[in-house]
Amino acid sequence: MLQKLYSSRFTPERNYQIAKWTFFVIALLLIAFAYVDVGTISIGSNNYNLSLIRLNKAIAYTIAILGLQVVIGYTGQIALGQSFFFGTGAYISAWLIADHSWPFLLTLLIVIPSCFLIGMILGLPALRIRGLYLALLTFGLAAVFPSIVKLDKLYGYTGGAGGKLTSNYKFIAPSWLPFDEVAQALQKIPLLGDFFGDGPLSTREESRLWKFILFSLLAGLCFWLVHNLIRSRPGRAMRAIRDNETSAAVSGVNLALTKTLSFGVASALGGVGGAIYVAEIGIASPDDFSSLVAIYLIVGLVVGGVGTLPGAVIGGLIYALVPDWASSTQSVSFVPERWLQGPTGSLILGVLLIVLTLFLPGGIVMGWRKFKNKLLRKELSTAR
Amino acid sequence: MDLFLQRVFDAITNGSTYALIAVAMVLIFKATTLINFAQGEQAILGAFAVLQLWYWGIPMWGAVIIGMLFSAVLAAGLERVFIRKFDPADHLPLVIITLGLFLVINAIAAIVWRFDPQSFPQLFPSGNAFTYNNVRLTWYSIFAFGSCVLVLVVFQTLLTKTKIGLAFRAVSSNLESSRLSGIKIGPTLQFGWALAAAAGTLGASIYAANPVLQIEPSMMLRALIFSVTAAALGGLDSLWGALIGGLTIGFVQSVVVQYIPFIPNEMSLSAAVVVLLIVLTLRPSGVLGTKAVERV
Repeated sequence: MLQKLYSSRFTPERNYQIAKWTFFVIALLLIAFAYVDVGTISIGSNNYNLSLIRLNKAIAYTIAILGLQVVIGYTGQIALGQSFFFGTGAYISAWLIADHSWPFLLTLLIVIPSCFLIGMILGLPALRIRGLYLALLTFGLAAVFPSIVKLDKLYGYTGGAGGKLTSNYKFIAPSWLPFDEVAQALQKIPLLGDFFGDGPLSTREESRLWKFILFSLLAGLCFWLVHNLIRSRPGRAMRAIRDNETSAAVSGVNLALTKTLSFGVASALGGVGGAIYVAEIGIASPDDFSSLVAIYLIVGLVVGGVGTLPGAVIGGLIYALVPDWASSTQSVSFVPERWLQGPTGSLILGVLLIVLTLFLPGGIVMGWRKFKNKLLRKELSTAR
Repeated sequence: MDLFLQRVFDAITNGSTYALIAVAMVLIFKATTLINFAQGEQAILGAFAVLQLWYWGIPMWGAVIIGMLFSAVLAAGLERVFIRKFDPADHLPLVIITLGLFLVINAIAAIVWRFDPQSFPQLFPSGNAFTYNNVRLTWYSIFAFGSCVLVLVVFQTLLTKTKIGLAFRAVSSNLESSRLSGIKIGPTLQFGWALAAAAGTLGASIYAANPVLQIEPSMMLRALIFSVTAAALGGLDSLWGALIGGLTIGFVQSVVVQYIPFIPNEMSLSAAVVVLLIVLTLRPSGVLGTKAVERV
């Protein structure tokens, strides 16, 4: 009995997983300490921003894209309006923080259930509408969100076109976290120590670091929950609907319940992403939640890989970094300057979207898996 | 009463331009059961091409016709390269491709012509055709409506009287059977895309020629929502439904919203989305569309 328990807990597969995740967490922490004060890296004559602010934004987008994975990737419903829920979560959180001085984490307790409910209610038409019609409707939702928050009647809650400032709330790192000690220990490493700056961390750096760690933990929690959801009974029902709706219904899957559930989960994740976004940039303004954001989130989903959980991380990074880096690229040889001053980021994302759909339908993650399996001469398991 | 009449005229003006873009959507939907999210951007690219040709000294209507040809050829190319290889029944990749085209075309238009609004030359005689107290019916409104009806009549004739029109209708009614009876599916759909893009370019040119508007790369985003709603309202596969839907949406935007006190003016976009929601939930086939019969 004990033998059985032991062997099932410490298989080589499991050891590999544990080692992989430990390595991942350590790498994340090292990046956090290394980039807490260094703002930019320079390639050629251009400076590219790689501060924790960018990475925090990437975390916000990652969680929103994770929501899209649930509804598009695993349930197969073409819902394009994630920016609507991203914005809803952002505004609810901003309103609670700014007008009621709630701490950030407490606002999530309101954001998650309310976005879940709104998503379920707006998902109800999806029971009748399918495929393209649903894509149309959800795109429409994304398009109207900015004009809803600009309404005069909601001015008291949303701050109108000017946006809602939340900068009265500061993230203060708890004093029991040994940030200073870790930073100084890292600085003493020979050769590599220079990457970690000089001297003790300032209060701003500490608060930034704390935000990054907090958001990463939240993201990790979301991933864990979604991972479990996908492998549980409702998750299997979702995948059955994606693969063949009729046969899912015949096998006893409750279509209405499962679809609404997936809409609710996706919206709640969108809301969490939005709340993190606002906590990071300190203001919720209407144009940050336009329909272009909805399309960019789809780009993140597709480029990372539809129906793969790690794809959400890659998608979030791409969304947070590509447009920003494209606009900070001032000069590239052989490219006329005119092409660098316009919306180059949008162009690159659009090209990525088309090229990946044409040539690598599973996105970067599936491409990597195929490549790895080719190396290891393994058959690619089609189950995702 | 004057105000009401003026608003009705505004409704007809806006509605006709939405209807022209909606016609383009309907053509593509008829052929491939695909909604082209890039339709508005293709149209604005065509309108910018028209503007550029006009800058180069080509007379206005000549420029419009060359612009329509240009966008038709471009659309045919896009269909061949990006759309044809996908299974029409699998919607997700097609939606994603058209969203990608949306981003790319929008960015290219903004890079080449910049974001600053530019005034678009007049396509129609200026001034008022009809004045009664304070109510003005401009020539622009009449011509916008007239060209919309004209385009519909031309398309109707093209689809019912010509051989390729017959092939197009056969493909849109049953893809498999028409393949078996020897119709070349690819070129027929390509023809549909070209026709749709030409209609879209005409629509965007007329929309931008409105004396109160200026042309800029993002102007079609709003119009896209209105046109999509118009197309869905009229029935996504009905040409004349697009006109009815366009006029209805124009009416909702310019008349109904103005008379409901609790809906502020800028909410007309939301009103359109609410109409879309109601139509799709209660009657997905729209007013004139073909009802889809599903056997489970």
